[in-house]
Amino acid sequence: MLVDYPGPWTPLLGRLDAHQIPLQNPILFWTFVLVSLGAATVLGAVTYYRSWGYLWREWLTSLDHKRIGVMYCLLGVVMLFRGFIDGVMMRTQQVMAVGPKSPGYLGAVHGYLPPYHFGQIYSAHGTIMILFAITPILVGIMNIIVPLQIGARDMAYPYLNAVSFWLTAAATGLVMISLFIGDFSHAGWVGLSPLTELAYSPGVGVDYWSWAVQIGSVGTTLASINIIATIIKMRAPGMSWTKMPIFCWTALSTSVVGLSSFPVFTAAVALLSLDRYAGTHFFTPGLGGNLMLYTDLFWIWGHPEVYYVVLPAFGILSEIIPTFSEKPLFGYITMAAASIAIGGVSWSVWLHHFFTMGAGPGVNAFFSIASMLVGIPTGVKVFNWAFTLYRGRVRFDVPMLWALAALVLLLTGGLTGMMLAMPAINYTVHNSVFVVAHFHNMLNVVGFACFGAINYWFPKVFGFKLDERTGKLAFWFFSAGTVVLFGSMYALGFMGMPRRIDYIPFTSWRPLLIGEEVGIFLFLIASYYMVKQLFVSIRDRAKNRVTTSDAWGTSRSLEWLAHSPVPFYNFAVQPHVNARDEWAWRREHGLGHVRPDHYEDIHLPNNTPLPLMLGACAFALGFGLVWRMYWLALVSLIGIVIIVIARSFQDDPGHTLPGAQIRQMEAVYPDIPREAGATGGMLGGVVARHALAAPRSRARDD
Amino acid sequence: MALRKEHAGPPLSLALLLFLGGCAQRGFWLLHPKGAIARTEWHTTVLDVAVMGGVVLVAGGLVAAFLWRYRVGSGSRKYDPTYTSSLVIELLVWGVPLMIVGYLSYFSVKSVFATNPYNPLAIRHALAHPRQTDEAMGRRADPALVSATAPGAHAPRALRVDVVTTDWQWVFIYPRQGVATVDELVVPVRTPVKFDLTSATVVNDFFIPELVGEIDIMPGMRTKQAMIASRTGLYHGYSDDFSGGGFSWMGFSTHVTGRAQFNGWVRRVRAAPDHLTYARFGQIARPTINLAQRVRYFSQVQKGLFDHVIERVMEGKVYRTPLAMTEDMTKPMKVRLIK
Amino acid sequence: MSQEAYVDPATAVLWDQSHTEHDMIATRTLGFWLYLLSDAMIVSSLFASYLVLDHRVNAAAGPTAGDVVHPMAAFWGTVLLFSAILAYGAAMVGLKRGNRTAVLVGLGGAFLLGGGFLLAEGYDFAQLALHGMVPERSGYLSAFYALVLYHGAHLVFGVLWIAVMMAQVARQGFTPNVVYRLLNLKLFWFFQGFIWIYVFSFVYLAGALHVH
Repeated sequence: MLVDYPGPWTPLLGRLDAHQIPLQNPILFWTFVLVSLGAATVLGAVTYYRSWGYLWREWLTSLDHKRIGVMYCLLGVVMLFRGFIDGVMMRTQQVMAVGPKSPGYLGAVHGYLPPYHFGQIYSAHGTIMILFAITPILVGIMNIIVPLQIGARDMAYPYLNAVSFWLTAAATGLVMISLFIGDFSHAGWVGLSPLTELAYSPGVGVDYWSWAVQIGSVGTTLASINIIATIIKMRAPGMSWTKMPIFCWTALSTSVVGLSSFPVFTAAVALLSLDRYAGTHFFTPGLGGNLMLYTDLFWIWGHPEVYYVVLPAFGILSEIIPTFSEKPLFGYITMAAASIAIGGVSWSVWLHHFFTMGAGPGVNAFFSIASMLVGIPTGVKVFNWAFTLYRGRVRFDVPMLWALAALVLLLTGGLTGMMLAMPAINYTVHNSVFVVAHFHNMLNVVGFACFGAINYWFPKVFGFKLDERTGKLAFWFFSAGTVVLFGSMYALGFMGMPRRIDYIPFTSWRPLLIGEEVGIFLFLIASYYMVKQLFVSIRDRAKNRVTTSDAWGTSRSLEWLAHSPVPFYNFAVQPHVNARDEWAWRREHGLGHVRPDHYEDIHLPNNTPLPLMLGACAFALGFGLVWRMYWLALVSLIGIVIIVIARSFQDDPGHTLPGAQIRQMEAVYPDIPREAGATGGMLGGVVARHALAAPRSRARDD
Repeated sequence: MALRKEHAGPPLSLALLLFLGGCAQRGFWLLHPKGAIARTEWHTTVLDVAVMGGVVLVAGGLVAAFLWRYRVGSGSRKYDPTYTSSLVIELLVWGVPLMIVGYLSYFSVKSVFATNPYNPLAIRHALAHPRQTDEAMGRRADPALVSATAPGAHAPRALRVDVVTTDWQWVFIYPRQGVATVDELVVPVRTPVKFDLTSATVVNDFFIPELVGEIDIMPGMRTKQAMIASRTGLYHGYSDDFSGGGFSWMGFSTHVTGRAQFNGWVRRVRAAPDHLTYARFGQIARPTINLAQRVRYFSQVQKGLFDHVIERVMEGKVYRTPLAMTEDMTKPMKVRLIK
Repeated sequence: MSQEAYVDPATAVLWDQSHTEHDMIATRTLGFWLYLLSDAMIVSSLFASYLVLDHRVNAAAGPTAGDVVHPMAAFWGTVLLFSAILAYGAAMVGLKRGNRTAVLVGLGGAFLLGGGFLLAEGYDFAQLALHGMVPERSGYLSAFYALVLYHGAHLVFGVLWIAVMMAQVARQGFTPNVVYRLLNLKLFWFFQGFIWIYVFSFVYLAGALHVH
């Protein structure tokens, strides 16, 4: 009870009481019912198939970078869907609430969402999509691919890796539970100050947002540390910096950006929390606060964050395009340099997010030019990808389709980005949907790259390809949706439509709003085909089984040297790297099937439930702070400290896999996938039990 | 296959089509500027899109051509996996973007000064060359208005308007005229208007798409904006930066009138019974959603009201948003509504 | 320029059979340096906030830096803090010689001196609070407390960590795990000293010299 806030408070439950569960709201009520049913089905299935032990041993307590990566991706994809549903709701509200004569339902004056509900939906959409969907998917992909590409057995710090994941999961859990207990922030994913101050957002919504993003950004910072250290320390012998795959270069650049920018975000939001909890005046309009300080701090993180997500996407394109052009990447050195340059320039452009905040023309001009400079290395990348296609043999597999469409989106996004970088243009579209269209355009580059990456690396991780036909359908509907939705949105920007409005005052905007609704409908069809693709692929996994390590036949980098699916120890013997595209080099010189002549013992870390427990404590800490149940916050904080200290006394000795056993496993390896194809059982079970077989079960098989 | 691919890509091609179609219809406000600042901003947009559009076409064309030429099944015999670097191409792909960025930077800096909210050079230019700017619009100016500001005639004295945003209304104070309005802005045509802006609560953004670009309005601080309208008429203004539950209804109508009509309007407002004191302002500043955008007039304004609002906010005055309003989402309008 | 050196496939080494073990301590230390970089970014943000809010306007007619800081009190605090760092340095000398007692004595000294600094700082803040100079008073005071307390939080964790390490050194001796933790704790302990140098210079000394 440090500050004066409205509403009751009890020591035990803090601000929480029964009517905080919004059962009276039919939308939330039915969402709650559906989610509960879904959760009950999943939990029931796990119980029915007696998979709790398996889940606990092989996933929840695992320190294996591939499993953690898969869990990251799964978390990200689930949240991507949640964010997408938010998008559907927003578009539908806007198309329903046009003009003063439009009817209102469910208590809204116009449309079906009252302003504060709409505010929460768009805030949740932004926060989720950027921090809890795209970021986890990319971190997951980096987690899986980076160690494989540099020939490492795991990340530099496997335990820290699990901690990062569970912190991210805890943060995601906070965002999700805000649906059913209390409410979420209505002040945008950027946390518009001073709207986030207690005077203007007296509920718990902003607190949910602030604690979730703080916990999540700690997780992401730790993940960045891990990836940097992995790339610096764990590269296989012979892999000099200039032989490192380009995806690792982008992962390195992006992690440096993440490592240095996320702490600023944490600090900015922590100061905001101090305002809300301790009554300080950092960002209040009065009593010596400075709300522009928040805006600066936020975007000092916020702009690098954009590159944090876009750089790995560039790396993915740089892996996919050479594979399906049957050519090495054009201008490797330039591409690596451009990746680092983009990361560097990202630090000097943040002010372009508030050209309209009244800075002088000199300041605006400086940041305008700095922002345009980003276009140079980005342009270089586009041309280098184009020349990778030149004199190649271009195939249009599903990953390539996603990658090429991302390339085209990057061009249009670059065009509009150059517009926004000019203050004189920016003044007319700064807070309008034009900006929304621009950054959705750019984040769709990332999204397309992610879908490409999932299609591309899926056989590496799970041992079978994703279905081609449904994958292509998903791609075409998604692309069509992107064109229709964001084309309309760009056009609305030229009509001057502001972002974040839940009621549309001008009927002249209606036709294009209908266009957006059509676009979102196409996305809906695309997401149906995506689910279908996964379903069909798992059903027909025997048919789509990959029998060699090189799933696409023309892949280039080191991860394709490891078996498909990758065994838990990655490489039985660490490879020695001789070329930049090591796998392509071995394949082309007929060395693809040369196996090591003897196997040595491998030392691996033991599983541990401590990261999961740390995540649980972080969740409880966040929940306790949101509702101001200070006892809960204190208990979970002490819990975190105790777990950290306990771990330091534990000194995980790890376990050793004898060389003889590895020899046996390697010998039978190509046969295992075929066995798995014939086995039934539940989804995760098949995939993981046989594809990513664990030491214990494998030992029994032998 | 490759060609189909290209169709799926660029949202902008569709957007451009929509623009072209939209030029004929109303609603594309940014394309039809009615003031010197908005016009400069639009011209900068056209220039930038033309230059960058060229780059995008070249790059996209290159990608499309290579995809078509080197697709499997094209019969190309030029497959050459060793072609992975070329100094000439490297120099071109770094050098050409650098030159283009340099070229655009020049225009960027120039247009920043032309549209600088604190001292827009575009207004001076418009006052000095009224005909030229009108011809640039491709339409003939209203002769009566041109004569009023013909070269040689005195440039009209700038009109000052103080703008205060509350949750969620606009208060326009005309300090020289001693009148104020809520949610209605009336300005004379071809006269520079200078705005001082502040907010009593959270950040808003002042935007009249056809007349002038955006400027943030911040509590406890003063920002400025200036504009000049070249054509009479009714234009829509609104807040462009999310400010809470009533944000969507936070519009105001902007009437650009002839000078005589403006004076007549001021006289009408002076006859209004209501006076705007700080206490009265406090009532307006209570969270209110003006659903019908009802206009109110005040015939007298407390002297220095604008500065007083800023000072009080700096001393810690807040107009709280009630908890019930944000928490109970099914009954959101627990707020004063003006229907 | 991106052409590679030719490796003869016939004689190329394909597998690393040479038992290259990663240097565990070096890897862990690198990670800790990276953590310190991220922490330095938080400190920089707080410093930036402090420098922005260290202005008459942001004092909101309340106390400014000149009224809040007592450089002499902070000077004695600095002496305590740097003695704590010196004590830790002594423990590191002990580590180099493999002398368990010397390490424990050095750590114990750092623990006591660091704890002493915390007590002195707590007393200082209590005095300020008694005079109504609390963080809620103004933007300036909020920034002041946030910055100085963030350093204080480092000290709390540092002292806690030292206590844990004393237990581990006593129980386990110099295992690789204990050694890398001692080295990382050294970095951490010196890092909070660096923060304090900046806090002392820019908050206490500059604040005392400020004339508004």
